[in-house]
Amino acid sequence: MNPTNPASPAPVTPPPTIYILDDDASFLKSATRLLRASGYQVEAFESAQVFLDKLTPGMSGCVVTDLEMPGLNGLQLQAALARSANPMPVIFLSAQGDIPKTVHAMRGGAEDFLTKLGPKEELLDAVKRALSRDVRERKQRGRMQELHDLFAQLSERELEVLGHVVQGKLNKQIADELGINERTVKLHRTNITRTLQVQSVAELTRLTEELGLFKKNRPSE
Amino acid sequence: MMLLLTLGIFSQTRDVQAQPSTNIYGAPIKRVLMLFSEGRESSGGLMLEQSIQAEMQKRSTNPIEFYVERMDVGRFSDPMHSRLFQDYLGKKYAGRHLDLIIAVPSRDYSLAGEVPDALFPNVPVVFVTVNELEVPTVLNKLGVTGIIQRFDLRGTMALILKLQPDTRRIVVVGGTSSSDRATLNRIEEVSKTVEGVEFGFWTNEPIAALPAAAKNLPEGTVILLSTVQRDVTGQQYMMPQMAQMLMPTANSPIYVLGSSALGSGVVGGAVIDPSDLGVRTAQLAGHILTGVSPRSVPIEIDTSGTQMVDWHALQRWHINESRVPPECFVRFQPVSLWEEHRHLILFTAAVFVLQAATIAGLLTQRRQRRRAEMMLLSQRTELAHVSRVSTMGQLASSLAHELNQPLGAILRNAEAGELFLQKENPDLDEIRAILADIRKDDERAGNVINRMRSLLKRRSLESDPLDLHGLIEETVTLARSDAASRRIHLSMRLASDLPLVLGDRVHLQQVLLNLMLNGMDAMGACRTADRVLSVQAQKLDGHVQVAVKDRGTGIPADKVERVFEPFFSTKNEGMGMGLAISRTIIEAHGGTIRAENNPDKGASFIFTLKPAP
Repeated sequence: MNPTNPASPAPVTPPPTIYILDDDASFLKSATRLLRASGYQVEAFESAQVFLDKLTPGMSGCVVTDLEMPGLNGLQLQAALARSANPMPVIFLSAQGDIPKTVHAMRGGAEDFLTKLGPKEELLDAVKRALSRDVRERKQRGRMQELHDLFAQLSERELEVLGHVVQGKLNKQIADELGINERTVKLHRTNITRTLQVQSVAELTRLTEELGLFKKNRPSE
Repeated sequence: MMLLLTLGIFSQTRDVQAQPSTNIYGAPIKRVLMLFSEGRESSGGLMLEQSIQAEMQKRSTNPIEFYVERMDVGRFSDPMHSRLFQDYLGKKYAGRHLDLIIAVPSRDYSLAGEVPDALFPNVPVVFVTVNELEVPTVLNKLGVTGIIQRFDLRGTMALILKLQPDTRRIVVVGGTSSSDRATLNRIEEVSKTVEGVEFGFWTNEPIAALPAAAKNLPEGTVILLSTVQRDVTGQQYMMPQMAQMLMPTANSPIYVLGSSALGSGVVGGAVIDPSDLGVRTAQLAGHILTGVSPRSVPIEIDTSGTQMVDWHALQRWHINESRVPPECFVRFQPVSLWEEHRHLILFTAAVFVLQAATIAGLLTQRRQRRRAEMMLLSQRTELAHVSRVSTMGQLASSLAHELNQPLGAILRNAEAGELFLQKENPDLDEIRAILADIRKDDERAGNVINRMRSLLKRRSLESDPLDLHGLIEETVTLARSDAASRRIHLSMRLASDLPLVLGDRVHLQQVLLNLMLNGMDAMGACRTADRVLSVQAQKLDGHVQVAVKDRGTGIPADKVERVFEPFFSTKNEGMGMGLAISRTIIEAHGGTIRAENNPDKGASFIFTLKPAP
């Protein structure tokens, strides 16, 4: 990663960082050392709780955690992280292979499950994948947030009309079903396309699908 | 990869559940019905049955369930019985899916043909029989396959003449059933090819009269036993049975056609060996079980037997062993080493006995004094070792974990060090710090290994003044990662004024570890708040008392007294040795150990130790 230039103004959000967690101080120190020497920004924590207390939505990067820790263990941390506003990718490091726990972790969406005695390439490759996954998912989450904000500007009635429009209904049908004037429907449609900055029904449909809107209504039609 | 593997296992498990009858590994169970014409008194039939079953189980990847039914026609020859038997079979197996029928008919082939065809038309049939009857065309029509073993009459005649070239007369003992007659006809046929020997047939007199008649047979006579499914009185005789009847009186050697009579005094013959026949039948049956249609496998007719003779009978009739053909098996022959070196062996044995007696005499006095003591001690050491090793098994994964931590740290440090060295201006201070850390972790790993080794080493009881504080703390540390993985909190309450105790450090640690693991096992199903195991130590009435308290399920009231008995266990996977060994160790230290249920929850195990003088 690019080392931050001390001359540039302090960034508002911290740079992509590997948050590494292990209750074994000596392993934590050595792994931190290795990751730093490999050019990464690293922050070390001796317990999952301390890390979760510090977690903010602005932090980006990935989490490398030990599986067995007193207090919150690795799997519990994974679950807590998944529920938070900042679900960073998680890589597990374990001092011993435990198949049920591995399965559990992988099902929970873990980026990788490594043993502590694996070669560093394993860890560095996993970190590389996790960081790019974080960028990808962060972008995706940003995009969803953007869409969410756009759609939040629509009124209840406009959302209702939109629901019918994406089902391919004509203005007249919509007017009949909602018990309103056809011209009012047209007005709503103009508003919708302006607010959402789109040109066609096809685009509207794509956006609502991306956001997962109106999904529940469809099968009943 | 691991994930795929596991999913693979899951999906396989689901398939298995869809199948109604499978074994634990998921292979469907095959059901084979074996139908015998004869009853259990046919020893050849029994050997055949065992051999077929053993060979099929061995060859099949599926578990096989055998059902065996015997018609017992020798004792129930009424046609009514046959009908009842078929009715019974039909009703008994109506709801049962059968994969194969193995029929062992003896007097006709209906048990392989019409009977299963009427009762179980869709189940493939394999049969095996030893007789001389013609093969009825109905078997081919029904698509039945099997093995017909003919008696090796030529081989038997050849063996008789080889062993006893001066044979002038062969008396053939036979029966009157259609199968008996078919065999006799074949013998008659073969007899025509044997020159210079007269054949007589004992078929028109009751077998019961035979022993008396066999007393005075002319010289140069041998007796050949054929089958007697029915003599003139309607009685059935098995070959071993006839041999036993004849042996005490007969003045002539007896030959047989089946191996089951061997060992009852007969010389032998080119016999049919049921075990070998069973193996061949099992091969054929296994083939059909894999789904091959019996129709596509032609019926095999085998006419070769195995030449076998009884060594004792050769001696009895003064038959020179040099006459025995090389391909002939000589059975029941004693080890010849004894004969050759009898004197040497006796002499050597005598020397050994004398020597041993002298040594024993010298040692007895000293031994008797110490034996009881030593035996006790060695048993104790042995048991403690066994138990420690099994405890180590439980702890092994935790210890692997403990070992992997420092090894992992060493690896990461070494890798980081390499990266630092690749830089243009390596930071030597950083590298020094790395090396120091590596050394530290190396020591840590070494300590783990030393701890393991001292636990595994087999030792006798030692008696040293011990600090219980240190001992308990060390043991608790040893159990800590195991406890953490079971989410159990370990608590220690040790009085500050504990005196030193006299004892064996490793053995006491073993007791404590065993009690702690038991306590943790007892809390497997507890709520998190209750998962606390506490170890307490205090001075009491001039002793030191150590208690391990859990908050688990407790001990059933009627079993509190019994938990220290060997092989008594309340755990499914327990061997019931841990507490018995713990008691042995504590008592060897002059202490006591007891168990009691706590007033609120769980159980306590309490032992006492003597303070060091």
